[in-house]
Amino acid sequence: MGQKVELACIIDDDKIYVNLVKKIIEIKKLSNNLLIFKNGMEALDHFKLILENATEDRLPDIIFLDINMPVMDGWEFLNEFIKIKNNFEKKITLYVVSSSIDPRDLERAKSINLVTDYLIKPIELKKFEKIFDRNGNAAA
Amino acid sequence: MLNDLQLNSILEDFDIAYWKINLLNKEVSWSEHFDTLVGNPIFSESHFEYFLKEILHQDYRYDFRLYFDKLTEENEAFSIELKLKLNNGKYRWFECRNLKNKENNKETAVLLFVNIHQNKRDQYTIEENFFYYHETAQMTNTGGWYIDTQNKNIYWDNVTKKIIGCPLDYQPPYNEHLRFYAPEEHQEVTSAFDKCEKYGIPFKVELKMRNLYNKDFWVRATGKPVYNEDQDIIGIRGVFQDINDQKINELNLQNSLDLVATQNSRLFNFAHIVSHHLRSHSSNLCLIVELLKDAKTDKDKIELIPNVADISENLDLAINELNEIVNKQTVLGKERRIVSFEKALSGVMASTSSLINRENAKIVAEFHALKEISYIPEYLESILLNLITNAIKYKHPGRKPVIYIQTYLKNETPFLEVSDNGLGIDLDQYGDKMFGMYKTFHENLDSRGIGLFITKNQVETLGGTISVTSTVDVGTTFKIKF
Repeated sequence: MGQKVELACIIDDDKIYVNLVKKIIEIKKLSNNLLIFKNGMEALDHFKLILENATEDRLPDIIFLDINMPVMDGWEFLNEFIKIKNNFEKKITLYVVSSSIDPRDLERAKSINLVTDYLIKPIELKKFEKIFDRNGNAAA
Repeated sequence: MLNDLQLNSILEDFDIAYWKINLLNKEVSWSEHFDTLVGNPIFSESHFEYFLKEILHQDYRYDFRLYFDKLTEENEAFSIELKLKLNNGKYRWFECRNLKNKENNKETAVLLFVNIHQNKRDQYTIEENFFYYHETAQMTNTGGWYIDTQNKNIYWDNVTKKIIGCPLDYQPPYNEHLRFYAPEEHQEVTSAFDKCEKYGIPFKVELKMRNLYNKDFWVRATGKPVYNEDQDIIGIRGVFQDINDQKINELNLQNSLDLVATQNSRLFNFAHIVSHHLRSHSSNLCLIVELLKDAKTDKDKIELIPNVADISENLDLAINELNEIVNKQTVLGKERRIVSFEKALSGVMASTSSLINRENAKIVAEFHALKEISYIPEYLESILLNLITNAIKYKHPGRKPVIYIQTYLKNETPFLEVSDNGLGIDLDQYGDKMFGMYKTFHENLDSRGIGLFITKNQVETLGGTISVTSTVDVGTTFKIKF
């Protein structure tokens, strides 16, 4: 195992999924801390607040972003996030995570530079470990 | 007077050959030119017999002999068109008639053979062309017309008159000819005729005409300028082809195609949405199974059980929702009937009375401009139900919900409008997603994101459209064009 991720962030409205991922992260000790938002708007508000306060200690190393969410979906969040992302010094890895197997979603995600990869739910435990591990190594 | 030699040469120039007949002994002698025409035969019998057997086409032998006998015996004049075999072996048309006997000459008669082959052929060609034109015009419903722009007259041929549905002796009025076109075509027709008359620009258009009984039908029309010797335009001539049946078929086909295309894309979206919606639950199940496998202690395993219960409940809910959508979308066995808006609304209000009472919602309906509509009753109720519950669900927290429902006719098209004084929605941001499946815009526990999706589908299935206007904090209006 590589270095642990300090802060991971999940933006997803599926409570059960969030609970399970939380469990995995706890059990496997993949990240020290976890931020959870149930839609894009809540997450965006958080990032804007960080920008205003100019403290990056609550900025995640890795984001798992769902596509289909109420209020503000994943695409809309990406549109807004791109605008403010460059104001942060920290390198943030962003994964789009969705149960959609629509190739149009996959294409769209891959066309956005900000998105490291498109992960189709369910994500296997091993894959989770790998993602966090690689992230840890890359950050080190 | 001309002598025989000169006469011969003139006759030859005109391709006219002749016979001299001795009326006393009925002997026939041929002019030189006749000899050259039919070749120089070697006679074993009389000229006459040889002519009948070898030169004259068999169809005319009987008649010719009859005429010949009458001429020689009774001096009766005759004229006959017949075919002669020339020295090249081909038959050619000739007119054969006797030269008038001025001096009552009892000794000789003269028979002239005038080559009329070209005339005859032209005549045949004209007859043939007329036949083809006539048959083509009948079969394709194509009529000809001519506009004499100098004398301000319009001429229609019989097929055109048949297309227009007027009697054969009908004289089309020059100044009111636009009356024979559907009003929406007047501008284009005027412009096409003007351009042709003024600048000689031909036209070929598809347009809607209006027959004598004010029924509209589709034609393909072509027009070309007619010039006089000074190259001035003196008229326009062209054809109308009645293409109504084809055009109607074409339009129907296009409509069906559009309908199939939209339904296809709707199904495609539906399939993806369904797969996504169901997959989110199944993927959670997979995740739990992995966690169960990975769990070290029984306590860890037991802790996961409530999640399984949640997933199965959600999965059940999702399948029921999809079932509901499919059921509501099926048109099978449902037929349009005359539905009263008043009745449909009271049905909906009865079934939602608890919600309406709880929220103290006020519903105002104005149906006097349009009281009823031919529609599938279940659809109309479902549409009203969705729009009303939607309006109440997204009411403004600061005021009691008021819903104003109105029906009316505009350009003979029925409309239904449902307006509320609720939260409103930022259409710039969400407009294109309003009617999508599982799209919810407010964090509301009972929003499921399928109501408007179903409503839109029901409206579109019956050939209508739904649109929305909204102002945040003021309210929303849904407008249905049936």
